Amino acid sequence: MRRILAIAGLAVPTGFGVVLCEVQGGGGWFAIPIAAFALVGTYAWWSIGRNWRSWGYAERADDLLITHGAFFRRLVVVPYGRMQLVDVEAGPIERMFGLVRVKLHTASAGTDACIEGLTQVDAAALRDRLAALGEARAAGL
Amino acid sequence: MDGTNQETSRAQVSRPAPVAGSFGLESPAQITKPRRLHALTPVVLITQAVIPALVVAGFDLPHSRASQASTSLLALLPFLAIPVAAGIFGAVSWVVTRFHFEAGELRVDSGIAFRQSKRVRLDRMQAVDVLQPFFARMFGLAELRITTAGGSRRSLRLRYLSLVEARDLRAELLGQAAGLGSGVKEAPEQPLVVVPHSMLVWSSILRLLPVWVVLLAGVAALITARVASQASASMLAPLLALVPIMVFVSGQLFWRRVSTWWGFTVAESPDGLRLRHGLLSIRSQTVPPGRVQALKIHQPLVWRMFGWAEVMMNVAGYSGGGARSKEAPKTVLLPVAPTAVALALAGRLVGADIARVPMRRPPRRAAACAPLWWKRMGVGRDDAIFVTMHGLVSRSVDVVRHERTQSVRLTAGPWQRAWRLATVHLDSAKGPVHMRAAFRDSAEARDILYDQADRARFARRYAVPDRWMQPQTPGFATEDRSAAQRGGGTGRGSVAGNDMGDIG
Repeated sequence: MRRILAIAGLAVPTGFGVVLCEVQGGGGWFAIPIAAFALVGTYAWWSIGRNWRSWGYAERADDLLITHGAFFRRLVVVPYGRMQLVDVEAGPIERMFGLVRVKLHTASAGTDACIEGLTQVDAAALRDRLAALGEARAAGL
Repeated sequence: MDGTNQETSRAQVSRPAPVAGSFGLESPAQITKPRRLHALTPVVLITQAVIPALVVAGFDLPHSRASQASTSLLALLPFLAIPVAAGIFGAVSWVVTRFHFEAGELRVDSGIAFRQSKRVRLDRMQAVDVLQPFFARMFGLAELRITTAGGSRRSLRLRYLSLVEARDLRAELLGQAAGLGSGVKEAPEQPLVVVPHSMLVWSSILRLLPVWVVLLAGVAALITARVASQASASMLAPLLALVPIMVFVSGQLFWRRVSTWWGFTVAESPDGLRLRHGLLSIRSQTVPPGRVQALKIHQPLVWRMFGWAEVMMNVAGYSGGGARSKEAPKTVLLPVAPTAVALALAGRLVGADIARVPMRRPPRRAAACAPLWWKRMGVGRDDAIFVTMHGLVSRSVDVVRHERTQSVRLTAGPWQRAWRLATVHLDSAKGPVHMRAAFRDSAEARDILYDQADRARFARRYAVPDRWMQPQTPGFATEDRSAAQRGGGTGRGSVAGNDMGDIG
C-alpha cells in the first residue's frame, strides 16, 4: 500500500518536471526527471519493503513487544497491566486495502505503541486478546 | 463499503471494580446527604469579575470622556454587564450545584443548560488540592480540586467552600480513598523541608540572571554605540524602548516565582505528601502515597555555584499548567533547596538512597552523539529504583521506582546505529520528568530494556496498593490474581480474586 502511495506521490512532481522540460523546449531534457523518478522510485520501493519487514510484534507472557523501523529502530515493551486503552483505527486509504492499525495507550504519553497494517480479522482478535489480558493484569497506575 | 465506515472502534481495558464489602461502602447509608457549596460563592465570582473590569474601565474612561462626555455612561455599560452576568451565572450555578458521596465515589451534579453529573472514584484519585485564590481568601473561602489520571479536564473542582469545610472534605476524601472508611479526621503531618524566604528570593534572582545579563549587555552595547556615533541614535530608539519592556517582563517573572513559591513547605503524613505555598494565593497539595510517578533533581548552571537544586515530579493528571496556562505548575516538588536536601527528599519519596546507586557511563563511542556531555551521562539501578543523570552545564538526576514505569522503549536512529548505540526510554505519566538512558551500547541497551521490563513486573507485585491504608496480604500479586482468573473465566473473576486476597 505504501509502495503504491509512494509511487503515486513521486509521479506528480515527475509529471511536472517533464512538462516543464517540454515547455522549455529542450530536446532530451525530459529524460532527466524520468531517470530521477526511476531512481528514487526504486529506492523507495526497496526501503519501504525494508520498512515493512521491520514491523513486528510478539505477545509474551506479561507484555507485548512491538518493533519497527529500518533506519530509526524502535522496540517497545508494553506490560499488559499498564494498558489503558486499545484502539483499532483505519484511515480511508487503509480501508481500501482492508488494513487497520492497533494502537495501545498507557498512562504515559510517550508510549507510541502502534501495530500497523494488520488485517481486520487479525486486529479484532488481537484487540480482544489484549483487552482480556489487560483486564486480567490490571494494575492501577 | 457499508459497515466498514465504522472501522474505528475502541476497547476500554476495564479495571477491577471497587471491591465492595471489604470496607463497607456499599451500604445505602453511605450515600451522604447532598451538600451545597458555600453561599458566598457568587460574591467571590462577582469580585473576581469586577476587579479586572474596573481596571479596564479605568484605562478606557479617560478616552471616552475626552471624545464625548455623553457616551461615557453608555461606555460603562459593558463593564457593568460583566459583573452582573458573572453574578447571575454564579448564583444560578450555586443553586444547582450539589455534591455527595456515594459508594466510594464523590458525585457532583451541576450545570444550568447542560446538566452534568461528575463522579470521581476515590481510589483512582491522584491528588487533592485546596486552593485559596486571592479573592476567595479574602472571604475565607477555598477551592477543592481533585485530580484524576484522566488529565486536567477530568479534574473535579468544588468552588467555593469555607476553608474549614474544604479541609474536612479533603480529610474525608483521603480517608475514604485510603480505605479507612468515612469520618476520618485530618492526619497529623511531619514537616520535612521548609524553603527559607531569603533562599527563594536569591534563587529567583539568580534564575533570572541570564535575562539580567542580556539586559545589561544590551544597555552597555547601546551606550558604547551611542558614544561611538551620535548619528545612529534614531536607529537605537526602538531598541531603547525594549529595555523597559524587558525590565517589566523579568520583574514579573521574578514576582511570579517568589509569590507562588513563598513559604514552600513539604510535609509528610500518612495520607501522603503535602505541599503548601503561596503569598497572596495559597495552594496546598496532597499527593497520596504511590502517586508520585517519577522525580527529577535539577541544577541550573547559576545555582550550581551555590549548590542548590530544584525537584520536579510526575503525577498523573498534574501535567498541564506550566508556561502556557496562567496557573503555576503543580509539578514542582521543591522550588529550591541545597542539593543534599533535595536528594534526601527525593530519596525518601522513592524509598532508596539515590546517591548510593552506582552509576555507569555510556561507552566512549557515545562522544559521537554527545560530544562533551557524554561523560556526565550515567545510568544506575538497584532493586527499587532506576536512576539516570545527564547534563554538562545544568545537571539533572532523574529517578523512577520500577513499579511506576508504564512501558519501556528502545530507540536507535541511523547515526546511533552506526556507532552501535541505542537509547532506552522509561515512559512515565505525563510530566516534566522523561527518563531516558541515552547512548548506551546496543547490547547493553537491550539488556536494560528486558531487565527493566522484568523488574517493573516484579516490583508491581509489591507496590503500594491503590487504597494505601487498607490491610493487605504481603506479596498478594496481580499476577497470582490473573493466574487464578485464567483458570476460572473472564471479567469479574479478578474481582473475586481480590476479595479472597483481602480476606486471606
